[in-house]
Amino acid sequence: MERFAGLLGQLPREQGQMLRALHLAQEELGWISRDAIRLIARHLRVSEAQVYGPATFYAEFRHSPPPQTLVTWCSGPSCRVVGGDRIRRIFEAEFGCRLGENTADDALGLWLGQCNGTCERAPMVWVNGRVVGPLTMVDTVRLARRLKDGEDPIDWPEQPIKIAPATFTGAEEVYGSAHAAELDGAAR
Amino acid sequence: MSSSYEEIREAAELAAAPRRAPERPLLRVDLSTSSIAAEADRLWEALVPLCAERGVDLIRVGTLGLSWLQPVVELERPGAGAVVYGPVPPAEAAEFLDAALSADPAEAAARWLIGARTPEAGVPSLDAHPFWAPQERRLMRSMGVIDPESLDDAIAEGAYEALDRAIGMEPMAICDLVLAAGVGGRGGGGFPAGQKWKFLLGAPGPTKYLVCNADEGDPGAFVNRVLMESDPHLVIEGMAIAGKATGAEYGFIYIRDEYPLAIARMELALVQARERGLLGEDILGSDFSFDLEITRGAGSYVCGEETGLIASVEGLRGMPKIRPPFPAQKGVFAEPSNVNNTETYANVPLIVRRGADWYRQHGTESDPGTKMFSISGALVRPGILEVPFGMGMDELLLGCGGGPPEGREPKGIQPGGPLGGLLPASDLRLKLERPPFTERGVLLGSGGLILFDDRASAVDLTKYFSEFCEDESCGRCTTCHGGSQRLVEVLERILHGDGRAEDLERIGVIDQTLQNANCLHGQFTPYAVRGLVNYFRSELDVHIEQRRDPALAAPGLTRYLVTDPHSAELAGARPLCPTGAIVDRAAPPADHAAEEGERAEIEPAGLTIDDARCIRCDVCRELAPQAVRVVDRFLAPLEAV
Ligand SMILES: Cc1cc2nc3c(=O)[nH]c(=O)nc-3n(C[C@H](O)[C@H](O)[C@H](O)COP(=O)(O)O)c2cc1C
Ligand code: FES
Repeated sequence: MERFAGLLGQLPREQGQMLRALHLAQEELGWISRDAIRLIARHLRVSEAQVYGPATFYAEFRHSPPPQTLVTWCSGPSCRVVGGDRIRRIFEAEFGCRLGENTADDALGLWLGQCNGTCERAPMVWVNGRVVGPLTMVDTVRLARRLKDGEDPIDWPEQPIKIAPATFTGAEEVYGSAHAAELDGAAR
Repeated sequence: MSSSYEEIREAAELAAAPRRAPERPLLRVDLSTSSIAAEADRLWEALVPLCAERGVDLIRVGTLGLSWLQPVVELERPGAGAVVYGPVPPAEAAEFLDAALSADPAEAAARWLIGARTPEAGVPSLDAHPFWAPQERRLMRSMGVIDPESLDDAIAEGAYEALDRAIGMEPMAICDLVLAAGVGGRGGGGFPAGQKWKFLLGAPGPTKYLVCNADEGDPGAFVNRVLMESDPHLVIEGMAIAGKATGAEYGFIYIRDEYPLAIARMELALVQARERGLLGEDILGSDFSFDLEITRGAGSYVCGEETGLIASVEGLRGMPKIRPPFPAQKGVFAEPSNVNNTETYANVPLIVRRGADWYRQHGTESDPGTKMFSISGALVRPGILEVPFGMGMDELLLGCGGGPPEGREPKGIQPGGPLGGLLPASDLRLKLERPPFTERGVLLGSGGLILFDDRASAVDLTKYFSEFCEDESCGRCTTCHGGSQRLVEVLERILHGDGRAEDLERIGVIDQTLQNANCLHGQFTPYAVRGLVNYFRSELDVHIEQRRDPALAAPGLTRYLVTDPHSAELAGARPLCPTGAIVDRAAPPADHAAEEGERAEIEPAGLTIDDARCIRCDVCRELAPQAVRVVDRFLAPLEAV
């Protein structure tokens, strides 16, 4: 929370920074807590209601803590025409929670995701941000059970999407060291 | 002291030379969202030491568009051509590299070979590939070839040359040029960009804003993502030229949050351009100043609508407003603004560089130029490509995309996202330009085309799109959120076998009511269901009148039936059923059992599926296709044997 407050303090006090502030809260705290809303309101000099509005309007902002392992189910049409909806039913049955919920112990969560255009892997899910697909239904059951057992079926990379550095000369030389750092930041 | 464009270009060409005319073998690895989904990042990690050992230079590039073959790589050898390979799984990195570096790669690396992008003796050309042949790659010319994270590489290919030229032009002359080229808005509306720019140019200053719409909310559309990931400077240059043409000195690029890699590459590109004096104060030594910032979306479809987008940039809920006032009158922070799609802006540098006549050499009267399309769904070769407007949809989806997999028949097409509507397979003959689509009551949209085959239920798909629209309705007008909710309820009912004769009429009333919605989101919501009624009427009728789904896909209208209770495969599937619905068949009645006790032991009753528990997930049929059949829920007998 302190770190978040510090970073928030660096944003200009403008209404236009609202989404940035909310993203920052979600990245730092994992979700948008009541306290985060209060802090943002104070910093941007608006009422809490004016923060609560956008915080609840946008689907991406969460209002409860994230699960340890997140399965994001692609709701998109390309996945759907090849059996995507069955995948949702399997995860719901295996996890014992509905779409948009976490299991009781917050170990696993099943959330809705929008197509990001990796449709050639349809039908698919993201596990902690990593695409897993195309899935058969049997694959799906096995995946769900391994996740339930706390196993990592694939050794997930630290970050969902990484930007590989240029190696032929080294990132520093190409972009200048300052930008290599920035690139790092942007990748996060 | 800022340098001139010529100086910058010269320095960039020098810096980019090792990648443009390599003296050592150069391996380009596609690192884009679609390749990373296929583990290209792990391939990259595997390749780093391997390439170092073998004296091969390794660079990251954007995508060529061959998504179904990811991870894709390209090896260019000095004095030879650039040969494209894929898929190259990380585990095969070493084996692949040695084969591709051998004297006869066409033979040694045949299992990965796709084709030669530039001629190489003995290797079939990519130009002969069905996915590649009909393409006219203008926007995509450098994609998959240059490093999207290197400004040098972009400039060496001509980036910012058009900006340099535009800075010396009168704003009105740029607007006229763009208007003469006839580039229409790529976000779906097709409104002439030059015209819209003139509105902004004529608006009172001094503060004006540009907005780049990279919200790309249509599922199945990923044109903008590929543009930003593969050639970010093209978008930035287009916006800077638009700034000069309209008198705007500041712009916002609104990117949906589902595109983290595009956001990162655009952020980096902005930093690079600023540093080189291509953005910021007094660009290239002129008195023209222009800068950009990125706004990250947060998962809202209506924010793609321009007034919703503006509200979102301002940090408010992304609710669309009633137009007028149009953005050119009252846009971001109430100042005059112009919103264009990413691809619209990206076309501009090409027009300034090559002229309106060149631009019009391809395309049609109503839609000049080329268009990027992302094709997916039931296709053998899903991916992203660029073709002239006016090409047949069959050529694109069946020719380039290869149509549905073996043994499947195309059933329909979903163009233009959730608001775009549905078309039957017979409409594959339509030309890819706006008028024929509008005539058929659908939208060509922003470039996403999804083919579905006989496995998909048109009613279910329509319900999905209606549900999407309901979910994404901003909630401002009851007409929209209530109307779409009602639509979903009716479709849901039909999909559970409770369709009623008057449902068609009811759908018509909902459609009419939605025409009074505040914004286009609500007004276009019924396009999907209208497509269903107009083009898939017999399927809808069967759902309502006979309570069955001819595609046998809708869970509410189907049932899983065991046809072989003693199947070993079915027994094997039993532990995998997520709900434990594969159960022992009921033992014979008690008195019976006493007599037959012995026999029952020898021949157990076998397995059946408990319909109440079954979630129609298909696991059992996948494992025991001979023992399980999907049947009509309301028509078929309860037991097959
Ligand atoms: C509900 C809705 C969603 C839209 N989503 C997008 C979008 O994701 N991307 C886009 O470029 N345009 C979208 N549009 C169209 C925009 O409102 C606007 O017309 C477009 O950005 C203008 O740019 P253009 O003239 O370059 O096409 C959407 C429109 C509506 C009604
Ligand atoms: S529909 Fe699932 S990735 Fe596009």
